[in-house]
Amino acid sequence: MSVLLLRLAGPLQAWGVSSRFERRDTRHEPSKSGVLGLVAAAQGRPRDAELDDLGLLRFGVRVDQEGTLLRDYQTARNPGWANPKLSYRYYLSDAVFVAGLEGERQLLDSIAGAIRSPEFPLYLGRRACPPSRPLVLDLVDQDLDAALSDAPWQAADWYCARRPGTVRLRTVRDARPGERGIESVRDVPVSFSPERREYVWRDVVESWVQVPGASTEVPDSDGSGGELVVDSATSDGSAVASDRPADVTAADMRASGPPSRPSRADAFDELI
Amino acid sequence: MPEKTFIDIHLIQTVPFSNLNRDDTGSPKTGTFGGVTRARVSSQAQKHAVRDTFAVQLPAEQLGTRSKRWPKIVSDRIGDLAPEIDAEVRAELAKAVLEAVGFKIPAVKAKKDEEAPEPQTQYLVFLGNRQLDRLAQAAVESHRTGEKLDKKQLKPLADTDQAVDIALFGRMLADAADLNVDAAAQVAHAVSVHAVDNEWDFFTAVDDEAPADNLGAGMMGTIEFNSSTLYRYASVNARALASSLGDTANAAQVVGAFVRAFATTLPSGKSNTFANFTLPEAIVVTVRRDQPVNFVGAFETAVVPSADGRSRAEVTATRLASYAADVEQAYGNPAVASYVVRLGEATAALDAIGERTSLPELVASLERVVGERLTEHA
Repeated sequence: MSVLLLRLAGPLQAWGVSSRFERRDTRHEPSKSGVLGLVAAAQGRPRDAELDDLGLLRFGVRVDQEGTLLRDYQTARNPGWANPKLSYRYYLSDAVFVAGLEGERQLLDSIAGAIRSPEFPLYLGRRACPPSRPLVLDLVDQDLDAALSDAPWQAADWYCARRPGTVRLRTVRDARPGERGIESVRDVPVSFSPERREYVWRDVVESWVQVPGASTEVPDSDGSGGELVVDSATSDGSAVASDRPADVTAADMRASGPPSRPSRADAFDELI
Repeated sequence: MPEKTFIDIHLIQTVPFSNLNRDDTGSPKTGTFGGVTRARVSSQAQKHAVRDTFAVQLPAEQLGTRSKRWPKIVSDRIGDLAPEIDAEVRAELAKAVLEAVGFKIPAVKAKKDEEAPEPQTQYLVFLGNRQLDRLAQAAVESHRTGEKLDKKQLKPLADTDQAVDIALFGRMLADAADLNVDAAAQVAHAVSVHAVDNEWDFFTAVDDEAPADNLGAGMMGTIEFNSSTLYRYASVNARALASSLGDTANAAQVVGAFVRAFATTLPSGKSNTFANFTLPEAIVVTVRRDQPVNFVGAFETAVVPSADGRSRAEVTATRLASYAADVEQAYGNPAVASYVVRLGEATAALDAIGERTSLPELVASLERVVGERLTEHA
């Protein structure tokens, strides 16, 4: 078996599985229907095309950078009427995921090609959410669990810098036959046809994997500046240079630096 | 497989104190990116501004209307075409023709001693003005000939000859999903390239007629605002656009009109309060054959005021230029064409990634290139 690994990163993503109309929610990690929809769009399948071959791929995601939940409020004007129609859309902001699709290498190869040169523009769950980094990460000859645990950590440099050493990342994947999931989600697309949209259930299993973190050289404690060097370790242990633009210095980082990231519980509290 | 044509539009635009796009508490919208809070302008608000500009710049017959008041709109149009038909009959005809196309119009009851409220479609429906004309015409003909309205003939009237704004931004109809149109344009939420904290302006207003010994304010309150340099991005799938419009020649013009409108408009939120009317410091347009590429990654690490005296605009332009060059180098499928419109020395770095031009020339070149590609790769 092979696994196609995709990197899902962007300022905003939205992976709702059940919402329509005025309130559109998002799960905390990409949905199978959302990612298969992206694949189908890349291949240029019409909305009413068969999806059986895609539905059979085993799916799992790894949460490399937990985003924060963002609620976007939107009005739609009805000209001539006083009250606009309100709607709420939820997004994950600043999140990075690694999604894996397990199946025959040949099929995955053609999917990777389609994603690199897609027929329809691709987006992270909602049209207003284009990806900010290339989607295809790797195609490996492993099973899904191994692929999700071996892939190098994809979080942004600023995020890695705050977590030196080994990190634990959450994974959510399709349950194997007979395996008991933590949850059933109606999230396997049967048809994206606008007239007959249909999804079936899948059981999902949550677990954790450990990946090597980033090594960080802490700048001088007097705060007088100097480059903050952030290296991200690759899976084979070699270090690659940071791609942080040269105009960002340690002083900059302290001046505008990332505030402490609210936990997911905090993010929900902000909504109440 | 014939070649694709994607047009990417990247804008760097500084806005002074402003509140372009508010949330439900009146605050300018924000979001987190690269671990810091950024100013954000939603895609919907930017698209709305583009549609407002289209209404001034393009003929009405090329555009659509989004409303729930279709029973009245169709009935009025029938009245224009056939003034001899009674108002009541017109209303019946309008309802019948809309229902035959597939839109639900919930019944409305009059309250005691009140006039019946105007009937509406169940949802906001986006219909082309030409489509409206044809539906009204069909209703008039059915009235004159006494023949029943034929669903099979009516439906295509609402689903062909799409309006420019419907082809670009799409149409989703809950009642009649077979009439959905996939959007050819994608607009990302604009994001500031730097961290932003919203600020508050405390204001008082004087009561002109207050007695001289009354020193208090007539009212007071606060307005929230911020100031930012935004990265704005949109992309158009020219082939999908041509297919929705059913017209290749027109598709190239529409791409040009969209680029011009997107680059020269901003949402109008509180613009009378802040007069934040700016134009982009830089417009970069790339035509690609492989896929759209959003350059927002250049700003994942927030831009900060530079110690060596370089302005925010300069750091931003330098980052964008080097990121664009990186993409070309790493993925090896260069853009078919790249154009740069820019202001001042601060944005000079962008000359490395495209031909420097003016907006009118950019639009003309783009229309030519897109037109050629759509013809050659039909």
